[in-house]
Amino acid sequence: MEAPDEQLMLAYRDGNAAAFETLYLRHRGRLFRFVLRSVKSRATAEELFQEIWMRVIEARERYAPQARFTTWLYTIAHHRMVDHWRRRGLSLVELDEQDPPGDSPDPARQLEAREALARFAQALEALPVAQREAFLLHEEAGLSIAEIAAATGSNAEAAKSRLRYAVAKLKAAVEDD
Amino acid sequence: MTDEREPKVSRRYRELGAEEPPTGLDAGILAASRRAAETRLAPLVPPTGRRRWYFPVAAAAIITLAVAVTVHVEQQQPDAESITPPPPSAPESRTDALEAKKEDAPQASRQKSPAKPQSADTARNMEQPEPQARSGPDAQVKGLAMLRAERGAVEEAPERILERIAELRRQGKQDEADNALAEFKRRFPNYRIPEEMLKKVERRR
Repeated sequence: MEAPDEQLMLAYRDGNAAAFETLYLRHRGRLFRFVLRSVKSRATAEELFQEIWMRVIEARERYAPQARFTTWLYTIAHHRMVDHWRRRGLSLVELDEQDPPGDSPDPARQLEAREALARFAQALEALPVAQREAFLLHEEAGLSIAEIAAATGSNAEAAKSRLRYAVAKLKAAVEDD
Repeated sequence: MTDEREPKVSRRYRELGAEEPPTGLDAGILAASRRAAETRLAPLVPPTGRRRWYFPVAAAAIITLAVAVTVHVEQQQPDAESITPPPPSAPESRTDALEAKKEDAPQASRQKSPAKPQSADTARNMEQPEPQARSGPDAQVKGLAMLRAERGAVEEAPERILERIAELRRQGKQDEADNALAEFKRRFPNYRIPEEMLKKVERRR
């Protein structure tokens, strides 16, 4: 039986570097995709991904298993993403209302947009930041509504609403195929 | 957990792929995590920077304080030569006074003398377990007692002097006996000569 995330993080807090490696390998893929599909630029995603893990390392001595490790990890990721969007000129209110300014359209991606998958990807990219975040936290990270609310500093109703809007828009894109 | 997933949406999302971070990024993050875990052991190694001066400075302060207290205590001690003997006049009162000093001196030195607090005495006694050559409360009393004993050896007791005068009378040395009796009365003006002895030392008329 594998050690739970919380136990591994406590072991790392107490100086066990191997525990962190296990934890990292367990979460690296999903966290990377969450970041990559939030910002779309791979270079930016790698930079943010590294910064999130550095913050996990820095915060190890303050870690207390009051919630699932996954919730704690994606709370850190959310805060880092908010900082990123703020630097790009978006306020927290705008996260719910506007689509984020994307990178310049990739010609290859426009070509692939004719295909269903590309259309879905575009639909995902087109989601407002908060809705896309809620969708990715639910679909990629496996967080519940309550955990999404905790990670994003919102309430359960807002988290549920964002998720439902996101799923509805993506479903429409899928059904257009 | 409330599952808001839509199967078609979830399936299409999975088709987007499973991108992974580059291995170089993994290595950098894991190396940083190991470095951080090692730095946690830092308190077990000798202190660095400003903290490494704490122990030497504290030790130097303690030594300086100890030396200062020792010097201060040494300066507070009276010298043996500074003990002034009582004046040679009034032998009876001097003897009484010496006896009284012998009895009172230890208590006075322990309880009343502001120049020699008890803590200083204690510290001094600890540093000098053989204080006979030095002066302290006990040494001071002993010195006075020795002085008294020496003087007692050279000075005759009044009774002895009276007997010597009576002997002069028996030998017929009346003038010498008169002079000795006069000297006796001058030296011991308060001494009451017993009636029996008075008959022996006074000139018979």
